[in-house]
Amino acid sequence: MIHLENVSKIYRTGRGEVRALDAVDLQVESGELVVVRGPSGSGKTTLLLTIGGMLRPTTGRVRFDGADLYSLNERARTRFRAENIGFVFQMFHLLPYLNTIDNVLLAAGAQGRRAGKSEAQEILDRLGLSERGHHKPSQLSAGEKQRTAIARALLNQPKLILADEPTGNLDPENASEVIGDLVEFRHRGGTVIVVTHGTVADQYADRVIYLREGRCLAAGES
Amino acid sequence: MKLFQLILKEAFHRKLNFLLSLLAIVTAVALFAAFLTTARASKRETTRLMRDIGYNLRILPKETDMERFWLDGFSEYTMPEEYVERFAMQENFSYSHLLAILQQRVRLQDREVVLTGIGLEVSPPDRKKPSMIFTIEEGTVTVGFEIARSLGIQEDDVIEFLGQPFTVVRCLPESGSNDDIRVYGNLRDVQRLLNMEGEINEIKALECVCLTSDEDPLTVLRTELAAILPDAKVIQMEAIATARREQRLMIENYFAWIIPLVLVVCAVWVGALAMMNVRERRYEIGVLRSLGYGSWKIASIFLGKAVVIGMIGALLGFGIGTTAALSVGPDIFKVTAKMIRPAYALLGWALLVAPMFAALSSFIPTMIAVTQDPALTLREE
Repeated sequence: MIHLENVSKIYRTGRGEVRALDAVDLQVESGELVVVRGPSGSGKTTLLLTIGGMLRPTTGRVRFDGADLYSLNERARTRFRAENIGFVFQMFHLLPYLNTIDNVLLAAGAQGRRAGKSEAQEILDRLGLSERGHHKPSQLSAGEKQRTAIARALLNQPKLILADEPTGNLDPENASEVIGDLVEFRHRGGTVIVVTHGTVADQYADRVIYLREGRCLAAGES
Repeated sequence: MKLFQLILKEAFHRKLNFLLSLLAIVTAVALFAAFLTTARASKRETTRLMRDIGYNLRILPKETDMERFWLDGFSEYTMPEEYVERFAMQENFSYSHLLAILQQRVRLQDREVVLTGIGLEVSPPDRKKPSMIFTIEEGTVTVGFEIARSLGIQEDDVIEFLGQPFTVVRCLPESGSNDDIRVYGNLRDVQRLLNMEGEINEIKALECVCLTSDEDPLTVLRTELAAILPDAKVIQMEAIATARREQRLMIENYFAWIIPLVLVVCAVWVGALAMMNVRERRYEIGVLRSLGYGSWKIASIFLGKAVVIGMIGALLGFGIGTTAALSVGPDIFKVTAKMIRPAYALLGWALLVAPMFAALSSFIPTMIAVTQDPALTLREE
């Protein structure tokens, strides 16, 4: 499904070049849950954004279902992302002025389709947020915010969810629930790549990949 | 979720930013509305005030003794009224207004007053300028301040002049000039009263321009007029003409500076607030990008907000500006107060231009939002 071929990403800063990804080769099959671990600054987020079509690699290719993601123009890549990829971030990034249902429905706007509130409510029900539909993010707990972000990622029925430290701001109980939601998505046929410091996802992962200084150190079957 | 709802919810959430942006547009539109609503009155007032000082040209009977003229304020001689027509027909001067006047000193009760008969104002046939002077119906008079005060005359009173009754239609406010001892009547009435039908003793001509020469215009004017008005002579009120020109230029310069200044200040204001809004929402932009929102949709959110601010600002600004003009304007422009009316066409223009102006002011921040690299923002966390 996803195939990274010799992908490098170099950031040019005032203090010289920073090699965030260094000749990464990676293959993720459909239906896999892959955990990417590594210390801060190891290139985990860069890897995620590159796979998600948001950060063009300096060299190498990213194929998604056989299509070279970065040979698409910006518009086509944006559309591709809207149709196939869902993002979940550590800081949730819910829009503070929208209630839970509207935050979820925001994803539909990217495709220009009109998703009904019932569609959003159905996902919220599945994630245990039935009663939270009309609450603003400021009225939700951290775990509820993250599950709302997952609901937003799920609305367009993506093939892939890219989660960047989804449990980073959660207590163990909520972290476990959020990982459970991602596992549930995998069980429905989706593919998940989780970037995390923690180990809570390891037990559900098909593989754990270690990154250090932009290089994949090892890959093992879970 | 519709774009409009998204914009309104965000605006409601970030009230301060929204209200400050709105304030900029309201201020700009209100100033424009107030200026433009009173501009017509202001221009007219200036013209009227200048007219009250005097006309560019005063055409007098040839025999007029100028010493006496300056002492009395009018000529003791007369000339044919048809000179007005002759002057109007000539082709070598352009003019804005001609006025035939007949003045004599007469007694009203125990007072001596200057009875001034005013004819219908003549404008060039190709120009539809409104009357510069109040017209006086036959059988009526307008009384100067001092005469009205000393004789206890009030509007609607009937007074007798040389045995003829006249209704007082207006008592003038104090002018501080010899207009305070004048009684204005219709030229026909005054000619009849004085047994001087077809006679006048002055033509006032406003904004006369000599079209034929770049020599001293007064010399040319006198030569030309001598041919068509042999029994008349002309004096040019040069200082007044200059004062009039300078007054108008001053007003025009004032508007020419103040309007662009207001525009620039408001544009910078709106732009700076839009920039703050973009900075504050950079994670939101990153998330929208990650959800698959394209550049156009991101731009629509910011430009759409500017348009909403522009439309609300236009409505409020028009209301405030017009209300201010209607309440304060009449105190400033006393003579032409009645000309200050709501200019509803301005509302249409405001609704069209203010959103465009707000969108234009937000254009650079919007472009920054659109071109902002979402990966950079999202990597920040």
